[in-house]
Amino acid sequence: MNTLRRLFAPSLIAPLAALLLASAVASLTTPRFLDGQNLLNLSLQVSIVGLMAIGSTIVILTGGIDLSPGSMVALLTMLMALFITQNHLPLGEAIILTILIGSALGAVNGLLVGYGRIPSFIATLATLSVFKGWSFLYNNGAPIFSVSPDLEPLFYGSVFGIPLPIFYVLGCFALAYVFLNYTAPGRSIYAVGGNESAARFSGINVRRVRLLAFTLAGATAGIASVLMAARLNSGSPNYGQGMELQAIGAAVIGGASLAGGYGNVIATLIGALTIVVVQNGLNLNAVPTSWQLITLGVIIALAVSLDSWRRNIAELVVRFLRRSPSSPGEDT
Amino acid sequence: MNEVAPQPLWEVRSLSKSFPGVQALDDVSVKIYPGEIHALLGENGSGKSTFAKILAGVYQPDSGEIRFEGAPVRLVDPLTARRYGVSEIYQEFSLVRTLSVAENVFLGRLPRRGGRVDWPAMRRRAVELLDGLGIKVDPDAMVGSLSVAEQQLVEIAKALSIEAKLLILDEPTAALDVREVERLHDLIRRLVARGTAIVYISHRIREFLDLTDRVTVFKDGRLVGSGPSSEFDLGVVVRLMLGEELKEHFPKERHASDEPVLEVDGLVSDGGVKGATFTVHRGEIFGLGGMIGSGRTEIAHALFGVDRVSSGTIRLNGVSVRFQSPQEAIAGGFGMVMEDRKADSLFFNFTGIPNITVSRLAALLKGPFLSPGRERRLGREYLRQLRITPAAESKSVQFLSGGNQQKCVIARWVHSGSKFLILDEPTQGIDIGAKIEVYRLLNALTSQGVGILLISSDYPELLAMSDRVGIVWDGRIVAIEQANRLTDVSLFALASGAAA
Repeated sequence: MNTLRRLFAPSLIAPLAALLLASAVASLTTPRFLDGQNLLNLSLQVSIVGLMAIGSTIVILTGGIDLSPGSMVALLTMLMALFITQNHLPLGEAIILTILIGSALGAVNGLLVGYGRIPSFIATLATLSVFKGWSFLYNNGAPIFSVSPDLEPLFYGSVFGIPLPIFYVLGCFALAYVFLNYTAPGRSIYAVGGNESAARFSGINVRRVRLLAFTLAGATAGIASVLMAARLNSGSPNYGQGMELQAIGAAVIGGASLAGGYGNVIATLIGALTIVVVQNGLNLNAVPTSWQLITLGVIIALAVSLDSWRRNIAELVVRFLRRSPSSPGEDT
Repeated sequence: MNEVAPQPLWEVRSLSKSFPGVQALDDVSVKIYPGEIHALLGENGSGKSTFAKILAGVYQPDSGEIRFEGAPVRLVDPLTARRYGVSEIYQEFSLVRTLSVAENVFLGRLPRRGGRVDWPAMRRRAVELLDGLGIKVDPDAMVGSLSVAEQQLVEIAKALSIEAKLLILDEPTAALDVREVERLHDLIRRLVARGTAIVYISHRIREFLDLTDRVTVFKDGRLVGSGPSSEFDLGVVVRLMLGEELKEHFPKERHASDEPVLEVDGLVSDGGVKGATFTVHRGEIFGLGGMIGSGRTEIAHALFGVDRVSSGTIRLNGVSVRFQSPQEAIAGGFGMVMEDRKADSLFFNFTGIPNITVSRLAALLKGPFLSPGRERRLGREYLRQLRITPAAESKSVQFLSGGNQQKCVIARWVHSGSKFLILDEPTQGIDIGAKIEVYRLLNALTSQGVGILLISSDYPELLAMSDRVGIVWDGRIVAIEQANRLTDVSLFALASGAAA
C-alpha cells in the first residue's frame, strides 16, 4: 500500500509527464513508433543506458557526479573480449570478472573522491581519460569482433517471449530500490547527499559512503558493459561514447537533484525511457546524429534548470510559510 | 542628547529594521561625532550589527532617517556609503590570501598607467599608507603568510586607503591576543587624532571601555542606554545588556550524583584548546561560560572527535578514550547538538523521523533491512515523548519551527543512547516556549544519569540550568564555580578575562 503510494508519489509525476509527452510526439510524427517490433527495440535500447543510470543516480544522490562510466564501457568491453578470445575464460567467469573490474574501477573513483578529497567532477574527468586511453592499449586499439557464439543470446534471448534485458533491468532496478530505501548504507547515501556535515556529525562514515557509491556505479557500468559486448558480440574502445551524459540525463530527468539528497531510481528508469524514446523518435524521423545530440543536450539542460527552478520555488514557499503565522500544533 | 556639541558627522533618527520574525532594530536614534570612538554594545542579536550594516549601506532601514553632516541621505548600497567615507571591517576578512599585502590594499582599484598596473606606484603608496598608520608589515608579503593579527591590520589599512571618515569595526579583536589588541588600539587612537570617527563593536567590554568616548547599548533591537563612556562601568553595561526585566522561567531540576561520567585532564587540541581539566558527574549539567572565540566550542570539538587531541586524557565512565572522528565518539556514547542547526545537524531532505533515527540505524534493522514499521513506531514514540509536532512525521524538517527542529536533533541523541551529551548553544534562535521544552528535556536526560556539557552565551540560562560552570578564556578553563554562586555580572566579569 505504502509502496504503491510511493510509486505514484508527486516526484514521479513530472518524469512520467515527460515520458508521455515524448511518446506522444514520437507516435504522432511517425506511425512506426508504436509498432510492436519498435517497442521491443526500445526495451533493448533502454537496458544498457538504464543500468548505467542506476550508478549515476546513486552517485548523484551523494552530491557527486560520475563522468567516467562511458569510458569504463570502452575498457570493460575490450577486457571482456580479451578474456574470452585470448585467455579462453568460460563465459560465466569472464562476465563476473568484468563486473568485478568495473567495481574496482569505480572504487578508484571513490578513493579519489572520498579519501583523496578531489572534487568528483575532476576525479572522474581524469579517470574518464585514463580508462579511455587504457582501452586503446589492446589489439592495437582495434575492436575485437566475433567474441563468442554464446554471447549474443544473453542479449537477444527471451523467456516467455519477454526479452532477457527486460529481466536484467527490472531486477537491477528492484535491487537498487531496495538497497536505497531499505538498507542502512542506502539511507546513509541520502544523508551524505542531504547534508555532508550533518552526516559526519551523526556518526556516518562519509568517506566510506562515497567509496561505496562510486563502487556501485562501477559495478553497474560493468553490467552495462557485459550487455553492450553481448549485443554487438564485440569489444571496442569506441563503445560507451557519450553514454555518461545519457545516464546522468536519465537521473536528472527523473528529478534527481545534482546538489544531492533528492531522487529515486524508479524515476531514473522513467528518465532513461524518456531519453531512449526521444532518440528513437528522432531516428525514425531520420533526424541526423548532429541534431540528435543537440536535442539531447537541450533536454538535459532543461531538466537541470527545472530542478533549480523547483528549488527556488521551494525556497519561496518556505519563506512564505515562515512569514505567515504558523498553524496551531506546529509550534510548541 | 548631547548639549552644545559640534555638528554630528552622522546622525540616525528613529531607525527601524525588521527581518522575517525579528524586529532587529526598533526606533533607534544615535549621533556619531568626528574624532570619537563610539562603542556599540549588546548581546548577540541585539541589533548592533544590523545598525552598523545600515550605516555601511548593506541593509536598508524600514523607516527612519539618516543624516550626513546634517543633510538627509540614502545609503542605497555599500558603494554609496563608501562615497560618504564609510568604511567597514567585519569579523570575516575580505582579503585574498594568495595576493600580496599591497595588492590586497588596492584590490579593485590598482593604480594604472597606460592600461597596465603601475606596480612601483602601487608599492610606494602601500608603503606610505602602512607607514602612516604605523603598521609594520612587509607590503610584498603574501597575505596568507601573515598572522591573523597582521591580516587584521592589513584589513584596516585597506579600509583606510579610501580616506574613510567613519570606520566601522565589527568584532575586530575576536581573533587577537592581548598584545595584538593593544597594537590595534594604538592604531585606532592615531586615526581618531586625524579626525576619523570610529564605530567599534566588541564583546570584550573591559578591554575597550577605557578606549572609547561614547557608549551605546542595544538590547533586543532597542537602544537601552547611550552616553559618555565615563558614565559607564562594567556593571552598568552588563545590566543594560542583559536586562533586568522578568526573569525567564528555568525549570531546573538537580540530578547530579558524585559519580564521574566524564573526566578530562590537561586537554590540548589542534583546534585551539590549550588546557582544560574538569569532571562531569552522572546527571550533572556542566556549563561552559566564555566569550565567543574563547575556546568553548573547541573544547567540545576535541571531546567529540572533530579536532585532534594532542595531549591530555579523556575518561568516559573510567575508561580512557580518544576519538579520531565523531563516528568513534558516537559509538563511544557521546552525542553533540551542534551550534549551527541548519549547517551541521539537519537533513532537509528527510522528514523528522529519519532525522532522529540516523544516529543509530542499526536499531531499525530486521535482518539486513531497515524496517519501516519499526522506524515509524520508534519515531512516533520520540515525537510523543519530546512533544515534537506530529507534522514532523510527514514534513521535511525544513518546514518545522526552530524549536521542533532542535527537539528532533536532541531526540537523535536519545535514540543513539548517548551517555554524555554536548549541547552548543541549544536554544539559539528558538522561541521562549520551545526553550523551556529544551530545558525539560535536559532535566529528563540528567534524571536518567546522562552527563551534559552545556555551552551557552545566554548567561542567565547557563547559570540557571548548569550545576557547575567552567570559565573558558583563551582556550583554557580558568575557573570552575558552583553555578548558584555566580551572577550574570560576575560570570561576565570572569569571562571577559578579569580576575574574580
